[in-house]
Amino acid sequence: MSPARKLSGLQRDVLALYRRALRMVRTKPPVVQPKFRLFVRYTFHAQARAVSPRNISAIEHLLRRGRNQLEMYEQSQVRDCWVSKQMRDWEEREKATTALRQ
Amino acid sequence: MLVIGSREFSQAPPGPFPDPEFTRHNYLTPFPPLLSSLSRPRRRRLSRSGMQSLARSALRPALRARTFASSATRAQAAAVEKQPLLKEFKIYRWNPDEPEKKPTLQSYTIDLNQCGPMVLDALIKIKNEIDPTLTFRRSCREGICGSCAMNINGQNTLACLCRIDRNASKDSKIYPLPHMYIVKDLVPDLTLFYKQYKSIEPYLKNDNPPEKGEFLQSQEDRKKLDGLYECILCACCSTSCPSYWWNQDEYLGPATLMAAYRWIADSRDAYGAQRKERLQNEMSMYRCHTIFNCARTCPKGLNPAAAIAKIKLELAAD
Repeated sequence: MSPARKLSGLQRDVLALYRRALRMVRTKPPVVQPKFRLFVRYTFHAQARAVSPRNISAIEHLLRRGRNQLEMYEQSQVRDCWVSKQMRDWEEREKATTALRQ
Repeated sequence: MLVIGSREFSQAPPGPFPDPEFTRHNYLTPFPPLLSSLSRPRRRRLSRSGMQSLARSALRPALRARTFASSATRAQAAAVEKQPLLKEFKIYRWNPDEPEKKPTLQSYTIDLNQCGPMVLDALIKIKNEIDPTLTFRRSCREGICGSCAMNINGQNTLACLCRIDRNASKDSKIYPLPHMYIVKDLVPDLTLFYKQYKSIEPYLKNDNPPEKGEFLQSQEDRKKLDGLYECILCACCSTSCPSYWWNQDEYLGPATLMAAYRWIADSRDAYGAQRKERLQNEMSMYRCHTIFNCARTCPKGLNPAAAIAKIKLELAAD
């Protein structure tokens, strides 16, 4: 990686949310953690691609929605999540590209 | 009782003047009387004897034809066609699934003579007939659930309690509640509002419940709750308050403060001192600058500003 870039406040907010989401994954039972991780990664990547980085109001909206959603997933009663075929396909493709790079 | 549907119409005699045979037949045939038109003792007698046969006979087509022919509905059947009264509604639209697009005002024109009297009727008509993607909350359509709170012609009200202005030359503008995050179209995100309401612990707190039975309250004490307990939490008042617009995160807002006072004023609640203590800071309540937008906009005719003033008085007296 290049030397640390100065991040904007919004970028830091998004990364903080991503970090919090990945931490949430670790509080779940070990068996379902891969599912949660895939869900979090896919959701972030797919939505990051859908929005232009200049569209600040849209990003703020997604952040708010993400926080609300995460608040629910953080509850201890949530013990499993559903992973769609779309997410699995995305994971396969992601694995293939990283394997290619190496 | 009377159902005017296509089937009933098909059984009605043709033409404006009924067939004489038909009429005579109807008047002379001894039909069992309809249940609702009976006096109570008669009804009881009937139910004891042959309720079921009556129910069965009530379904006979001939009877339905009779009720139709001998009622005022006949006159209504040939309804006078009213001239269409076209009115334009401009409605705020924003779709979260297309975050790239900016919010817009979309215009719909509907015939007021084919529509109910309230704005909610117009919205439902638009959703049913013109644009099914229009999104809004609604439930009771009689001003008791508080779901359909929105900004109509610049005023926060419940769409179900707000009459449509019959002046067709002027358009009607409908926005979601102001200064709230939007979920979609006319649906605001009320998460924070509900969280604030939860933070004041809106329930009876008393460590010494009566040994037997319920809490008793004198009539005077009960009267103190009038004008407070009727609040339906539609958020019209809070979202009309400029103080709330600028300090949503810290200022509780009129709706929540009125609910807080409802529990402070309750004679059965033992935690009044703690409740007041919690409001004793710069932001929670003292951001109210007696603007009175809340009292002016409340669709239930309540006065949150007066409740806040009473809390201030009690806090000052402490």
